[in-house]
Amino acid sequence: MHSAVQRANTAATIAAILLATICAAASFLDAFNSPSLQAHVQVVKINRFRRQLDGNDEVKMTLKMSMDLTSLFTWNTKQVFVFLAAEYETDTNSLNQVSLWDHIVQEKERASFQVKVPTKYPLIDQGTNLRGKKVGLVLHWHIMPISGRMIQGKMPLSNFSLPDSYTTRS
Amino acid sequence: MAGRSEFSASARGVSNCSTQSYLCRGDSHVFPSSPVLKARINEMDWQGQKHAEMLMQIFLVFSAVAAFGAGYLMHDFRLMMLIYAGGVVLTALVTVPNWPYFNRHPLKWLDPSEAEKHPKPQVSNITSSSSSKKKASKNK
Repeated sequence: MHSAVQRANTAATIAAILLATICAAASFLDAFNSPSLQAHVQVVKINRFRRQLDGNDEVKMTLKMSMDLTSLFTWNTKQVFVFLAAEYETDTNSLNQVSLWDHIVQEKERASFQVKVPTKYPLIDQGTNLRGKKVGLVLHWHIMPISGRMIQGKMPLSNFSLPDSYTTRS
Repeated sequence: MAGRSEFSASARGVSNCSTQSYLCRGDSHVFPSSPVLKARINEMDWQGQKHAEMLMQIFLVFSAVAAFGAGYLMHDFRLMMLIYAGGVVLTALVTVPNWPYFNRHPLKWLDPSEAEKHPKPQVSNITSSSSSKKKASKNK
């Protein structure tokens, strides 16, 4: 503490330690946030159900979704990444998860919405197992904080069944 | 003449500081007109340093607590960062520079003329040859 430079060094070190402490405290308080979100999804129609040239099944559909993600946001939230996954079971894999649609929500005010969109990404199977398959739709979210660790969660939504035969020939 | 006696005293390494701390180097008894000491005139004294350190810790902890409280209540992370940054800058302004407020109990250094009357006592060595060499060099 003898010279001004030493005092500046001490002040900077203590300030950095305290900064880490308040960021850790902000992240720690996030764990007490119990979100209660609502979501509903419905398959409007299957646009295309075909077998691709390389042998895999492919489905494109239109979804109607409404969700309210405002309870996921805290003061320590930077953005929420939400995606809808189709889950089903096949002979070779006990669980297949394919992402159909995703969205990044950066503000709490825009966290509640309804959309009717075609799927961003087609449902492509590893094989030809999708005819007549019962598929469950699960909403996943990743809460990305400003400081701290990422929080994940999911919520199963409705199920639907694919038609027994291809709608268009490949 | 006065300047020569100062330099010869520093070459001998005579220290007139009673506490024998690391501050008491050979040049610490030079008159204030020397440029070496001008930079050290505006130091803090010991009590001032302790006071400055205490102020620094209190200010920083208080600004961290105030920033966290304000950010939590207003649900605004950016506000917390702004308040904390302001608190850190304020602490640096108050604590780091050598304000005269921290120098209210300055140390009183011994006068050079007084130091010459009381030379440093000789340390007795085991071998007589090395001690005689030392005495010869010191009693120049």
